[in-house]
Amino acid sequence: MDADRTRWTRWRRLSQFTVALFYLLLPFVHRLDFHAVAGNLASLRIGPLDLNEPAATASAVFASRELTWPLAIGTLPVVLLALILGPVFCSWVCPWGLLSEGIDRIRQHLRPSAWSAAGWQRLRRPRALILTGFLLLSLSSATPLIALFSAPRLISTLPLEAIFLKAISPVTGGLLLVLLLLEILGPRRLWCRALCPVGILNGYLRTRRTASIHFSADRCYCPHTPICQTACGWGIDPRHILTFDGCTNCLACVDQCPSTALRFQLKPHSIA
Amino acid sequence: MTSDWRTWLRQLCAPPPLRPPGALPEQEFNSLCIRCGRCIAACSYRTLQPAGWEHASKAGTPLVEARKIPCYLCMACPPLCPTGAIEEIADSRQVRMGVAEVDPTACYAHRGILCRTCVDECPFEGDAIYQDSQLRPVVTDACVGCGICERVCPAESAAIHIRPHL
Repeated sequence: MDADRTRWTRWRRLSQFTVALFYLLLPFVHRLDFHAVAGNLASLRIGPLDLNEPAATASAVFASRELTWPLAIGTLPVVLLALILGPVFCSWVCPWGLLSEGIDRIRQHLRPSAWSAAGWQRLRRPRALILTGFLLLSLSSATPLIALFSAPRLISTLPLEAIFLKAISPVTGGLLLVLLLLEILGPRRLWCRALCPVGILNGYLRTRRTASIHFSADRCYCPHTPICQTACGWGIDPRHILTFDGCTNCLACVDQCPSTALRFQLKPHSIA
Repeated sequence: MTSDWRTWLRQLCAPPPLRPPGALPEQEFNSLCIRCGRCIAACSYRTLQPAGWEHASKAGTPLVEARKIPCYLCMACPPLCPTGAIEEIADSRQVRMGVAEVDPTACYAHRGILCRTCVDECPFEGDAIYQDSQLRPVVTDACVGCGICERVCPAESAAIHIRPHL
């Protein structure tokens, strides 16, 4: 039965480590003058194709007040992926998310603490305000601020600086250090849950038909604090997810659920 | 003396940077650069470096420090920019990163010493820079601002500098 409890998690770890390894090894390839594949998690080039991260792109659109066709086309695949699979970027792709999970696990092992804003309701408005703030500041300063402060971009560009340029820039290093201190000393996963504009925007890229967690109360026999809520790495109660909540479809709750009450399905969300 | 306090503050922090070849005018460039690092990754010469905090909100954008490593006009970077902050340029002669300016107080040739290093090393020798009748370097409109002259100048701190186009 234990194998079932890690069914999705195994695939997710594979995805996370593959992405991390990819960006770690990419600079070595650049040292051999190969750049048909190049970039970081703000924008990746694969041959003639662009894969632009939507939040970084959005801040550039606000900053420059224009949206060009190439920029839109490059962002479309990532947006479509999010609209179909949900904001899997955070828990399946982002190397910072992987690090954040690891640090959270170590911290919980050493000194367990509760989630701030457990259940998620209290985070909804701050998240909306933060994303709006980032976009409006990008507009007024004419600088793509989300791209600058993007945690996935920072950590995926660190190997390029360290290995290809042989010098980590104080911008990348400094920002990552601040984020790291926040992870180690601050409220649990504060950046990922409440502050990261990349995650916030990607969380809004959902529709009623986006693949999501479905909860059937009649199949659930867990008592007050269910296993799924303990398993959730984001402080959400999987039994009460609203469509635009920050659930990143990490599927830890689905894995851990001892019954079949929680399922991951590509079907419209039953609760509005 | 400028009327815009933001510009004044910026000038206090760091001089405007020299941008990659094909870069849009400074303000547009800064509004589009999403710090994807693709241009930096493509530069085999390591010319392009990320801007530091002294450049304030331009932190992380690619710049050229000509005295350290100039641009050799290989033009690998423009096709890689996803936002169009760096435009593709067909002919490297049309690049306008900036313009070289000679400092007559530091230039050896201006002091009567026989030096023609900048003229010799310029990729557009004769067109972008030439020696006048008194063997002093003269920069023309054809200068692309690559910075090779600034790199090779034998004067202790270079006697020829690129003033970036803004």
